[in-house]
Amino acid sequence: MENNELQKIWKNIDSEIDLKTTGQLNQLLDNKIRKTINKFFFILSIDIIVSFGLIVFLIVTALNRQDDIFYLINNSILILITFSALIISLFSLNKLNRNRCSLSLKDWLEQRINLLSKWLLGKYSKLYIVIIPILLVMINISIHVYYEYKPFVEVMKSEESIIGLIVGFLVGLFVSYFAINKIRKYQIKNLEFLKELHTQLTFNSESI
Amino acid sequence: MKSIKDDFLEILSNYQGILHKVNLIYFKNASDREDNFQEIIYQLWKSFPGLKNKSSIGSWIYAVSINTSISKLKKESRIEYRENLPESFDKIDIIEELSLSEVSKMLLGAIYNLNEIDKPIMLLYLEEKSYDEIAQIIGISKSNVGVRINRAKELLKQNLNPLNYGK
Repeated sequence: MENNELQKIWKNIDSEIDLKTTGQLNQLLDNKIRKTINKFFFILSIDIIVSFGLIVFLIVTALNRQDDIFYLINNSILILITFSALIISLFSLNKLNRNRCSLSLKDWLEQRINLLSKWLLGKYSKLYIVIIPILLVMINISIHVYYEYKPFVEVMKSEESIIGLIVGFLVGLFVSYFAINKIRKYQIKNLEFLKELHTQLTFNSESI
Repeated sequence: MKSIKDDFLEILSNYQGILHKVNLIYFKNASDREDNFQEIIYQLWKSFPGLKNKSSIGSWIYAVSINTSISKLKKESRIEYRENLPESFDKIDIIEELSLSEVSKMLLGAIYNLNEIDKPIMLLYLEEKSYDEIAQIIGISKSNVGVRINRAKELLKQNLNPLNYGK
């Protein structure tokens, strides 16, 4: 088979493809934009509703316990962390949305690998191991102390309350770690795929 | 006066063949191809305002189509590393539903079985792109492009030889 025979066969495929009309292309683009905007706003809404819900709860409960200094400190720190987490997640969503697909395959792979590596293996990638337990303890305390209708120090002295807090903490910790590990495993698999493809590109460059 | 969207749709309409062909080399079934086609259109639309060099529209469309398709493969964990073609391949369970000639289906089947990096390189070669253009779209050296094309061509020819199929 001659070299250009492959190209001749390929040209036949060109003529055999059913092309779409401009109207159909417009329709496809509109549908995709609508779907993407809906998905984006859904994630954004959940993010904002959960964070603001928590912040409002923390402010209202703190206002009702203005004489309990430890409770106020606990809630203030939680408000600060929740607000920072909200801002960081909004920035991350925006960054993900700006992913540039028009680079060369090699540059695009490097961009995706860097982004995922930073998130999964970077300096702050294990921070969640420390932050989640701390947050869980503080949120548990905030809710529990408020609904016990007793001062912070008094609740912390009650054996029953401590057992309740420990059980709540362990359940929360298990659910959170389970969910995060699932997401991380999926993304690590993605990262490995991308690295493998990048190796295929660079390996052949070096072997010449 | 034409809007930016009208300009985009006109370009898309003229170059949509690229999207269809990239889809054909990466996806077996029609619904995956339809999804990916829509995703590529969206990614092109997103990067259209940043397109400075209007003379390289073809390269831009190839780059976005290839990267988007690999991204979809990645999400669905379908990437397989293949150094060589398998001894035999299913002549095209893939594209059986398409109204293509037998020999076209045979060629698509053989390309489908190349590894994920050689697929787009071979596609660009078959589209008669220069080694320079292929190197630019894929991001590798010209000499690397040459080596990969020669190797992939040999593999395709071996598998497309009518003797292999008892014709």
